[in-house]
Amino acid sequence: MQKEIKHTFYFTQNPEEVWAYLTKPELMEQWLMPSDFKPVVGHHFRFTNPNNSFVVCEVLEVKPFTNLAYVWKNDWAVTKTPYTSKVSWTLTPIEGGTELLLVHSGFELFKDLLAHNSGWMLLCNKLGELLKVPKK
Amino acid sequence: MSTQTLDAFQVIADPSRRQMLMMLSKDSMTINSLAENFDMSRPAVSKHIKILYNAGFISITGIGRERHCILKQEGFNEVQDFINYFDKFWEGKLKKLQMILNTKSKENDNK
Repeated sequence: MQKEIKHTFYFTQNPEEVWAYLTKPELMEQWLMPSDFKPVVGHHFRFTNPNNSFVVCEVLEVKPFTNLAYVWKNDWAVTKTPYTSKVSWTLTPIEGGTELLLVHSGFELFKDLLAHNSGWMLLCNKLGELLKVPKK
Repeated sequence: MSTQTLDAFQVIADPSRRQMLMMLSKDSMTINSLAENFDMSRPAVSKHIKILYNAGFISITGIGRERHCILKQEGFNEVQDFINYFDKFWEGKLKKLQMILNTKSKENDNK
C-alpha cells in the first residue's frame, strides 16, 4: 500500500523565486489556499479551504530556498475527520531552473489516532462516505 | 453473535485488528497461531477475524484441518482512496503553480 505522495515538478525560475511562492501567503494563495503562514519553525497556521474548513498546520523545518516542512492535519474540532500528515518541500537548483519535490507522508499516524477514542468511529464512517462519493 | 460489517476505517480503528493485520503482513497464519498472540477468548479472536474477513482485509483458506488467514488488498483500497485524494490534490495545485510561473516568465520576456 502506498503510504506517501511524491511529486517532482520543474520550473524555469530559480529556487529563490519558487521559494517565494511556497512561503509568502499572498503568493501561496494564488495556487494553493489562503493562509497565515510564516516561515518560522513552530509557527502554527491554517489554510482555509474554499468550503471554509481549515487545514491545521505547524511549521517543522525552514531552510531558506532549500527545504520547508509542515504538519498537515484537518481541524478536528470542526470537521472531525481525524488525520494528520506531513508535507515537505525540497528545492534543488538545476540548470535552467529549479526542481521542486513534494512529499506528503506520515499518513499511518491517522490510524493510531483513530484508536484513541471510540467516538471517532462515527466520524470515520462519515469520512468513509465522503471518500466514496467522488468514485461514483 | 451478529455478523458485523464495518467500513475500512472502523476495521483499522481497533488495536487488536491492526495488530492482526500487521502480523499477517509478514506471513499468512492459521487462526490458531494468530489467537496465541492475543490475550482474549477464542470467540473474541474469531469475531475480529470475521470482521477483517467481511471488510475484505483477509481471505480464509482451509488447508488440511487448519484455516489460514491471508492478507487481501480489497480492504485497503478505501484507505488508499484517502491517499489518492491528496495525490490528485497536489498534482492539481502544482500544475497551477507551474502555470502561474510560466505566465509570469513570458510576461518578463515580453518586456
